[in-house]
Amino acid sequence: MIMLNFVLAFLFQEGARSSAELMRESAAHPDLSKFLVIGALLFIIGVAGVLTRRNIIVIFMSIELILNAANLNFIAFSRYLSTTGGANAVAGQIFTVFVIVVAAAEAAIGLGIVIALYRNKETIWVDEIDLLKW
Amino acid sequence: MTLSGYEALFFWIFALAAIFAGLLTVMARNAVHSALFLISSLVSVAALFVLARAEFIAGVQILVYVGGVMVLFLFVIMLVNVGAEERGKDEIFNNQRQVAASLIFCLLLVGGVLYSVNKGYRGLQEQHKIAPEAAAAQEANRDQSLPRSATLTSRRTRDSEGLAASLYRYASLPFEIASLLLLVAIIGSVMLARTLRQEASADDVDPEVLKEEMIRDPELAKLEPQSE
Repeated sequence: MIMLNFVLAFLFQEGARSSAELMRESAAHPDLSKFLVIGALLFIIGVAGVLTRRNIIVIFMSIELILNAANLNFIAFSRYLSTTGGANAVAGQIFTVFVIVVAAAEAAIGLGIVIALYRNKETIWVDEIDLLKW
Repeated sequence: MTLSGYEALFFWIFALAAIFAGLLTVMARNAVHSALFLISSLVSVAALFVLARAEFIAGVQILVYVGGVMVLFLFVIMLVNVGAEERGKDEIFNNQRQVAASLIFCLLLVGGVLYSVNKGYRGLQEQHKIAPEAAAAQEANRDQSLPRSATLTSRRTRDSEGLAASLYRYASLPFEIASLLLLVAIIGSVMLARTLRQEASADDVDPEVLKEEMIRDPELAKLEPQSE
């Protein structure tokens, strides 16, 4: 129970001594840190997908998930800066636009490579694609 | 930034939806199911963007990712054969040792990232200390100052205006470079996805390779353009 309390407190950013009251307070008013935690969890799910899956298309999808987690952080910080009166708060949104552009280009090229690879090797399992391995 | 009331409720709904859909993307056996779960994750994140008052980015996210990139993904999934995976004959994950090692790595990463977010955010909070009620009042005040829409039922956001002004004022050169990048990506993917036949008819194959391939497929000889 103490352990669970600690883990929850860790997730809700209130320190180990916080009571349930503080946690409820914090959950009722999600702020920047909640966005960052969600972004971090999405990022790590994406990393896990890249490292564990065999299907190259699912690996590409996990990469999209990673890029999207980064976008979430950019947007959250952009909003935070605009409420605290930061210098150029829209910069985060501009970065997000460029990340989306690069993700689209990467998906087009990557899927082109997947199709060419499938034509030549008849496989989409990454552990069978080992032409460059010695 | 502090969300409150219904915004907080919707924040938790969409945050949990994004994370569960992300998990199911990685764990689904069928690649088409993976793609559909990724679409729901992206839509949930777009909803979080709306909650963070980035309406234009939310629209771009849905148009570009869900409307463009994910359709591309679904087409490619249907072009390559994933039947064996669906029927459960093939293993969808790497072998167990690799999975265990990468999961340990991911757990360490979770711990590190959450610890640093916790630490860093507390420092940030001390700089801009503000009570939740005061922050909520500030946000409400900010929303009240927005101009009304033509139907008078809602407020018009200034988000896309500000983004467009900043984009062209501070980032016009990167913007042009991004369009060039997209052009290169289009040409590259068209070149990559051609079949041997299409390459041969454009006279784009190494003659030695073409000679070998012609033995296998005599049809190729007809496609070769007559240069002289």
